Amino acid sequence: MVHYKLIYFNLRGRGELARLILHHQEVAFEDFRFEREEWTKYKTGTPFGQVPVLEVDGKPLAQSNAIARYLARQHGLAGQNEWEQSQADMYVDCIYDLISGTRPIIHESDKEKQKEILQKFLKETVNPHLEKLEQQLIKNGTGFLVGKSITWADLAYYSFFSPMTERFGDSVMDNSPHLKKLVEHVANIPQIKKYVETRPKTTL
Amino acid sequence: MPVYKLHYFNNPRQGRAELSRLILSQAGVEFQDIRFAHCEWPAIKPTTPFGHVPILEVDGRVLAQSNTIARYLAKKHGLAGQDEWEEALADMYADNIHDLLNAVAVPFVEKDPVKKKELYQNFMRITIAPHVAAVEKQLKKNNTGYLVGNQLTWADLAYYAYFSDFLEVKFGSAFLKAAPRLKALIDRVKALPNVQKWTAYRDATYPEDKE
Repeated sequence: MVHYKLIYFNLRGRGELARLILHHQEVAFEDFRFEREEWTKYKTGTPFGQVPVLEVDGKPLAQSNAIARYLARQHGLAGQNEWEQSQADMYVDCIYDLISGTRPIIHESDKEKQKEILQKFLKETVNPHLEKLEQQLIKNGTGFLVGKSITWADLAYYSFFSPMTERFGDSVMDNSPHLKKLVEHVANIPQIKKYVETRPKTTL
Repeated sequence: MPVYKLHYFNNPRQGRAELSRLILSQAGVEFQDIRFAHCEWPAIKPTTPFGHVPILEVDGRVLAQSNTIARYLAKKHGLAGQDEWEEALADMYADNIHDLLNAVAVPFVEKDPVKKKELYQNFMRITIAPHVAAVEKQLKKNNTGYLVGNQLTWADLAYYAYFSDFLEVKFGSAFLKAAPRLKALIDRVKALPNVQKWTAYRDATYPEDKE
């Protein structure tokens, strides 16, 4: 049995997708979390001064999407063929870009300015993306982003949009009924529900 | 052989389509290298899956996102790694470069020349220098001359594209002084016959606008 140790802050952030994949597939792993104040202690042990890092029988892998893709592939959530795998990659890359887009918002300490940047982000980046995404979901016609069954791409969208609605309200997905349905579907998967109920409560 | 059509802006050459062009060139695979002017973009944008380029058309189906495209091509043409662990490591390195491309966008788009110079200096010191040191350490650990396993992967091409074809061209090699293994790697990639063939063709066909 392979031993997985996922090393990340005690946050959802860029570590959460790997956790969701492992919980969805009911794969045991060491969910190693540390607080922000402890970061300097762990930073030098990482390959590139960043987390998350996944240790697979002690061998380190860095980069959140490389980690999540590896786990998805090892545990049957990557897509049914090469093309589906690439489509899933594409969607997860879109989420990566959206996560990066939230950083200036998160790091803005002035509340008024933060609100302004957020509105701009929703209007210029999130909403145009959601418009395209609805079209893709309708085109695929299965309720899932890729193929006929759940992939890590669906978990990635849940992982981003669930906290978004938590923080900014249901209206985020007002014009995206298909995505809303998908996010709700993922939220109600028993393994996901159980994990979400029992995981540490964190702001991000 | 599938028909590949790679779509991107016509400038700059070190943009997000270059890695895919290098992968295809190194693998000796033909492709349609479609470049469009910025004024054409408003008409093209709505036809793309997510309003971004590069996109890859493969026998009529469309893939978006630069690293997804590059990974797809790398896997199809033997440049992705020899097993799933190596593929993951190659993904990791490609993601590093993706982050570095995002980070350099800030100084790249700055218009004020004085501010631009300062931003680039800080970028080299705060972002590039630590990363170069970290990669040098990984190259030492792997000890094959390549980033992943014991042969060329798209990870090496990605590092060549960024560190040689972009940063070295821009700043010279001084920043690689303490990273002889990384320097040797990018030089080795630069000297590959198919890479040389591609860059010679590219530079002759698409002269770079001086920044």
